[in-house]
Amino acid sequence: MLGSAKAPLHLVADASAREALLATQPEAALVAESLPMRANLSMLENVALVAQFRRDLSFDAAAALVERLLERAGYADSALRRDPDLDREERFVAKFLRAALMAAPIIIVDRPALLLPDIPPALFLDRLLTRLADDYDTCWIVDYAWNASLYAPRPD
Amino acid sequence: MSTLSDFLVQRTVAFEARLRAWGHVARFASAAARGMVSPATYNSATREVIARQIYFTAWQILGGYTAFAAVLSLVVTQILAATARDFGLYDYALEFTFRLLVLEIVPLLTALFVALRTGAAISTEVSIMRIRNETGAMERLGIDPMKLELIPRVIGGTVSVLSLTVVGVVVSVLCAHFVVTGFRPWHAPSADLQLVVAKVFDGLSMTLLWGKALLFGLAVTVIPIAEAINAPRQVFYAPIAVLHGMVRLFFVIMLIEVGALVLRYVV
Repeated sequence: MLGSAKAPLHLVADASAREALLATQPEAALVAESLPMRANLSMLENVALVAQFRRDLSFDAAAALVERLLERAGYADSALRRDPDLDREERFVAKFLRAALMAAPIIIVDRPALLLPDIPPALFLDRLLTRLADDYDTCWIVDYAWNASLYAPRPD
Repeated sequence: MSTLSDFLVQRTVAFEARLRAWGHVARFASAAARGMVSPATYNSATREVIARQIYFTAWQILGGYTAFAAVLSLVVTQILAATARDFGLYDYALEFTFRLLVLEIVPLLTALFVALRTGAAISTEVSIMRIRNETGAMERLGIDPMKLELIPRVIGGTVSVLSLTVVGVVVSVLCAHFVVTGFRPWHAPSADLQLVVAKVFDGLSMTLLWGKALLFGLAVTVIPIAEAINAPRQVFYAPIAVLHGMVRLFFVIMLIEVGALVLRYVV
């Protein structure tokens, strides 16, 4: 999945190149360290907010939708935990689902290595993007060229 | 000479900063008022925040607040009744109590109670939200933080202050009557109470009481939020924003109270 046309990898030379790339897609849904979740809301409530605002759903309908997505992503057990109680992977999944619910043509994951410093980001992303393949159109992975080895194919 | 000019420059800069801060409060109040009457503000998420705000501001403290209002009313009425008796004015004790306790002290203390408990919490929360860029993240997700986080807090806080004031007024009227009748209200002619109530709670007094309570409700949310959203996004500014917000809030609450007194007894 990672590196395919549905989830292309964009390795950039430096910060200005990264910002220039992001600027080409102002309508994209962004998954980034700089876009935190509401600290006093649970993972489910944080994601449901997007559905409540952008799709005008009731809380119950939005929560049911988010529960299905979390189930598919394999994180249903984390739904009721608040942001400070989540680990980095759970937080990443919540941010990704928020972006997916925006129904933007492109989701941009900005510097996964910064968001997921304790695990190999490529393996995690590949698994998540495959599980949620029906819930987004295209997902760009943007990171610095010096992190290329993190995304290199690995033997199983 | 240079010391004097430095002093004057400093005072001018400080005065300009204060004017700017009041300008921020006025701008946010105007935006909040527009948002409150706009149907576009209301969806399932904003209704949830309003309900949560009312729960934390009014419902959660209702028992303690009612007990506080009852004890305060009993004590103040006892003092006023004893003083009136000393001066041979006991027939007016109930009227004194209604005018001082019910129309002035209870609404003012309700506003201060909510300001201390909720105003400070709202100011801190909004400051932290801005510092962590939670509001920026919401905007990027297509969620207007004004609609989701700020206006619902103003609505919830105002409804809470009005509701608590209703509870406080009812409790203090009952307690005052209880004390003034020598703790035997069933022996007092009910016409006496009705006469005093009709005399004290006339149209002007009721307009001023609820107008004042409405302004208190708006002040305890609008001022702390306006201060928090205009503070620099640095962690060390969060306590300063709370401090400025609370001082400004205290000043406005007192101004509203004095304004209401002037309208009632001077104009």
